[in-house]
Amino acid sequence: MRPDVTDDDLGRTPDDFDTVDVLEFAPLAAWSPTHDLDLAFSSEAHSLARFDSPLGVGVKEARLLNQTPWVRTLGRLDFAISTEGWKFPAPPTDLVRPPAQRLESSKPAGREVIDLPTLPDDGGVRKPPIRIRPTADTVLIKDRLLYLLQPPLDDIFNGRALEVPFELFPYQREGIAFMVPRHSALLADEMGLGKTAQSILALRLLFHQGIVRSALLIAPKQLIHNWGRELKLWAPDLPFEVFPNDPEARRTTWLTSNCPLKLINYEAVSRDAEVIADPRTYFDVVLLDEAQRIKNKDSRTAEVVCSIRRGRSWALTGTPIENSVDDLINIFAFVDPGRVPSDTPTKRLAALTCDSILRRTKDQVQTEMPAKMVKDLELELTPAQRTAYDRAENDGIVHLNELGQTITVQHVFQLVMRLKQICNFDPLTGESAKLEQLITDMDEVAANGRKAIIFSQWVEPLEVIAKALGKHNPLLYHGRVPQKDRTPILDRFKADPDAHVILMTYGTGSVGLNLQFTNYVFLFDRWWNPAVEDQAINRAHRIGQQHPVTVTRFLCESTIEQRIAGVLEAKRKVFNDLIANAEKPAAMLTEDEIFGLFDLKARPKRG
Amino acid sequence: MNDNAPTAATAATAKLAPVALAGPASPAVVGFLSIVTDASGVFGGYLVTNAWGRPLEFRLSTAVQPNRVQQILYGPTLTEYLHAELIGKTLIEKTSAQPTIVVTDSPAALGLRARLGVPVVCVNAPASDDLLPLPAGRCTATLSYGAKFADDRAVLDDRLEAIDPAVDLAEPFGRIREAMAEARKMGVTNRAA
Repeated sequence: MRPDVTDDDLGRTPDDFDTVDVLEFAPLAAWSPTHDLDLAFSSEAHSLARFDSPLGVGVKEARLLNQTPWVRTLGRLDFAISTEGWKFPAPPTDLVRPPAQRLESSKPAGREVIDLPTLPDDGGVRKPPIRIRPTADTVLIKDRLLYLLQPPLDDIFNGRALEVPFELFPYQREGIAFMVPRHSALLADEMGLGKTAQSILALRLLFHQGIVRSALLIAPKQLIHNWGRELKLWAPDLPFEVFPNDPEARRTTWLTSNCPLKLINYEAVSRDAEVIADPRTYFDVVLLDEAQRIKNKDSRTAEVVCSIRRGRSWALTGTPIENSVDDLINIFAFVDPGRVPSDTPTKRLAALTCDSILRRTKDQVQTEMPAKMVKDLELELTPAQRTAYDRAENDGIVHLNELGQTITVQHVFQLVMRLKQICNFDPLTGESAKLEQLITDMDEVAANGRKAIIFSQWVEPLEVIAKALGKHNPLLYHGRVPQKDRTPILDRFKADPDAHVILMTYGTGSVGLNLQFTNYVFLFDRWWNPAVEDQAINRAHRIGQQHPVTVTRFLCESTIEQRIAGVLEAKRKVFNDLIANAEKPAAMLTEDEIFGLFDLKARPKRG
Repeated sequence: MNDNAPTAATAATAKLAPVALAGPASPAVVGFLSIVTDASGVFGGYLVTNAWGRPLEFRLSTAVQPNRVQQILYGPTLTEYLHAELIGKTLIEKTSAQPTIVVTDSPAALGLRARLGVPVVCVNAPASDDLLPLPAGRCTATLSYGAKFADDRAVLDDRLEAIDPAVDLAEPFGRIREAMAEARKMGVTNRAA
């Protein structure tokens, strides 16, 4: 090493030292190769490099406590959620009765459900409630939730909001649950299972939920009145309006009436094609009763009915296929337009229609049914019958009043009989609202392979009916049939599968016969005494009957028949109220009650 | 979207005074609040019905999954905070139809009463000193309300009376769970999240 080596000899300036990081060793390479260092031991003192400037201390920042790996982050300490909601249609307030107004339900007249069977013991297991479910083609989440969130039908009909006059059978609740979510529905239950009640309650539910606001019901003319009656029974809170006969007034009803439910007959619909084509004519639901009326797709009725603009298409029929599968295809042209092409092979039909059809037979639901169901079917007289009836009644009352105190109950009887006969048939034209309905019902009975008994007070109407029901091989059984022929007639009725109907008078057929293979009884006209009617009904409803029996009592609206039935029903009710569970029917009409059937000034002299 | 982001400080206000009851009892509007816990966390479904059990509105929350630190920090107040404050209160406040009574299936959600001016009852709650029973008859399950809110009894009776007797207060929870499953199946909660 050279002795005079100074700081500068090292070739470094004091500034160089300033930059020295005292915490680090300077690399040896910084000293060489330009400066040879003599590392050999020497006793000579070397001067140290002078530090003229203060040393700068460059401290490299150490890791802080908040740096990994020393501390991990805590993450969020608060919570956050988001929500999504759906608002459903609110029930219209005018349809909702507040709970406080609940009335004690009284049994409506003209409808009885009796002989409730003992249901099999279910071991205390509660059946799952019947719920409305969205259909497979319900796409919108809001719609799916709306149906899923509906309460069970059992709770709805047990509650105060939707009171029903009779407890519904489970299969009826299932029928309602089937209809409510469907835009295309064909309820094809066998006759007597309550298609009317099911469809009314399904409509009522939709109105109450605010899902529909307008509905149109199309039914055969003679059944419009009965629909009104059933609506009052099953949906007393649902206002309805029947289309008037006058075409101009009908036009107003089509276009300007705000009534939520409108009723019209098929004939009027086919006449109103022009107004139906008006874009303002729209219904949330169109319901067809006796939908087989549109089974002929080329008919004017079918064409106009299918052209009605609508949201939901519902149809009722007990005989979806009367003659051929084309019947069903044509009904589906209304129920679900375009779904079932007219040339659909039969084997494909079930797959295309199964989701929209519900059909139950009496056999399927018999464990849930009473052994006997009695219903009054109120019919509207045909125009010819109405004219004849009004004239006969007015003239008859005038005549009775002219009799003064010489009047007897026989005089009144004669008028009653005359009026009842007009209710059966118009004396001039032979028109009959009852017969029209009976033909429809019998077609259904026969199509289902069932048998029926028809009762009348008189032989003559039975003969006319027999002629009209010729295709069902009717058998006559009345007082004019010789005794020796009677048993063979009954044997044939039982054995011949093509003999679907037997026609009887009350006097001959009401006692002593066992016809428990029969499931339908029609009372074409009413007897005076309910006890006799009950005996007649019991021809079919007796020990050995394997199936429920449906009894239909025909009544003509605003006629003597309705008045007599009202009086008898009131008497029966009084009797039943006094004696609980009474089976004994009320007595027939008293003399005072017979006089009370008419507004007579004349009265017999007493004493 | 983030409807509600309460802080830990909010949760610390555990001792809330009951809010004064508001609103008339009639017409009855019933809120059914269901709290569900599954693998995805805790979430709620809220159904508003009229007096006859008909649906008026339905709202669903996303799931919340508390982490370990949250569990430690919130401690025993966590469940009530999640059920009552975070999910229950949010769902009810976001819904336009205001209830006259809230029925819940989570005892922890009874704490809602301290946060809203609405009486709250719980179905199927296990017996506890913190709960007071309500007479059976309105429900196939047991019905109880918070002992801290014993003064609510008269109001509760009044508001329960306004509900149709055929409505089983335990029944709508089955509907809610089905609807929640349906909504999740259709990806609604993912969308909400």
